[in-house]
Amino acid sequence: MSAVSVRPTPARRPTFAWRALLALGIFFVLALAFPFLPLGDRREFLLQIGFFTLVAGIMALSWDLLARSGQVSLAHAAFYGLGAYGYALLLKAGLPWEAAMPLAALGAGFISLLLGAVTMRLSGMYFAIATLAFTEVVRTVIQNLPESVAGGANGLLVPALLGGNSRGQYLLALALLLLTVGVSLAVRLSKLHHAFAAIRQGEETARVLGVSVVRYKLAAFFLSSVLAALAGVLYAGKTFFISPLDTFSLANSISPLTTSIFGGLYTTLGPILGATVLRVAEELLHNTVKNGYLVVYGLVLMLSILWLPRGIVGLWRRGRQGGDL
Amino acid sequence: MLRAENLSKRFGGLHAVQNVSFTHYGGEILAVIGPNGAGKTTLLNLLSGVYRPSTGRLWLQQEDITDAPMERRCHAGLGRAFQIVRPFPEMTVHENVTVGALFGQRGMRLPQARERAYDLLERTGLAAHADRAAHELTLLQDKRLEVARALATQPCVLLLDEVMAGLRPAEAQEAVELVRGVRDSGISILFIEHIMPVVRDLADRVVVMDQGQVLAEGTYREVTANPQVVAAYLGTEAGLHA
Repeated sequence: MSAVSVRPTPARRPTFAWRALLALGIFFVLALAFPFLPLGDRREFLLQIGFFTLVAGIMALSWDLLARSGQVSLAHAAFYGLGAYGYALLLKAGLPWEAAMPLAALGAGFISLLLGAVTMRLSGMYFAIATLAFTEVVRTVIQNLPESVAGGANGLLVPALLGGNSRGQYLLALALLLLTVGVSLAVRLSKLHHAFAAIRQGEETARVLGVSVVRYKLAAFFLSSVLAALAGVLYAGKTFFISPLDTFSLANSISPLTTSIFGGLYTTLGPILGATVLRVAEELLHNTVKNGYLVVYGLVLMLSILWLPRGIVGLWRRGRQGGDL
Repeated sequence: MLRAENLSKRFGGLHAVQNVSFTHYGGEILAVIGPNGAGKTTLLNLLSGVYRPSTGRLWLQQEDITDAPMERRCHAGLGRAFQIVRPFPEMTVHENVTVGALFGQRGMRLPQARERAYDLLERTGLAAHADRAAHELTLLQDKRLEVARALATQPCVLLLDEVMAGLRPAEAQEAVELVRGVRDSGISILFIEHIMPVVRDLADRVVVMDQGQVLAEGTYREVTANPQVVAAYLGTEAGLHA
């Protein structure tokens, strides 16, 4: 190895985005401290906003994982809903929640592999439309199952997660976001990152260079959908009522997409920051501009995407190539 | 090493490649030449797996790769550099080559692949640009990257699709040296080329195609002396030596 070090080449080590890791660390410390702060009489409300911010973070990051492999999906509502319904039905079948949660997520993961296999040859717009259609199919199937099975259009009651303990629920969501971040970082530092990026930036070239595109695309599908389904489980356990229209709503597919773009695509930090900023902004706007807050919200989103094409994290990684987390 | 037997490819009524057979021996630089529309690029696409042949078989070493997808051909030892360079634009130069090193051979680990990529950047004269964005390179550097990335997959046969296209004469000479260096490291090369001096300087053997078929085969001197080649390929002898 000594011969290597004398060669006049640039540093032979991967550049490492310490700043991104530091920011992630700060985020988790603050997020962990949040439910222990004296939040006053609005505690329940604030914890609920916090909870759904974490869920939005899981959704956005899981969407980004799939997008890294070049697959811009509109099926995230389906994965979310499959998680929510899978969880509710497994609880109904008598499983404890600790078992129902991972099983529902894995179930959604395996169903996503079917979608992934079918959409393998599609790209861009066609892929997006196919995933959108998939969401509709899943919703329609669940809605038209006998009411005794999945509640039909009327929806389904779900026992509250952790007996309705808000702080406990929040901490569980935080743990699952931490898991999602762990998966994202593991992907970033592994072979998968190179495979995903290569497929996204030139699928045929990637294949010529030996990348088994089918295998890696399906891996992205599986990871992404399992995490999105966990977000769905959290949602079901928090709201203790799920219906096909709400759960499979297009908004659940679109907002992870906008959140990731807003925060910074193909990064770990971006989607989480995006989720935090957008959720907080949404609540603030909701309180200040009561009527038409969605218009202002949409405007803010549009302008920021125009001005920050690389998202919030783009603010401090200007012009940098590679090494980003 | 690479052996084609009666390869044909039809697009509807068009016979783009018809009954092409040849053997590409180890350590050899084989040029495929021919006028526009002769079927050279289609042949290369058949070899690299972009198309499946309508009829015929293809062997690499002892392995029948006629129906193998592109990634399996790569694992079997077939590398390809594109005529139109296709770097992964959002990656650095080093990351581009790392992809080839990482996936070209099964069971490669990331640190190993990174190290190998740096070695290849040195061999191809790109070491100083390792951390630059791939889209910032000049055309010659792009071509070097294209070759470095293909070499990273550890091929035994490298397919080069008009790598000299668009280069100035001095640059083409550098590229010729690069290709010779690759052959000297034990990799056989099959290339398509329009620029005749490059063919003359590089090729051990030349296959001439016309209208989808092999018209002649031999050394550069032999094929350029062949009246059939002269007539079909360039019309006049003067043009051939231009």
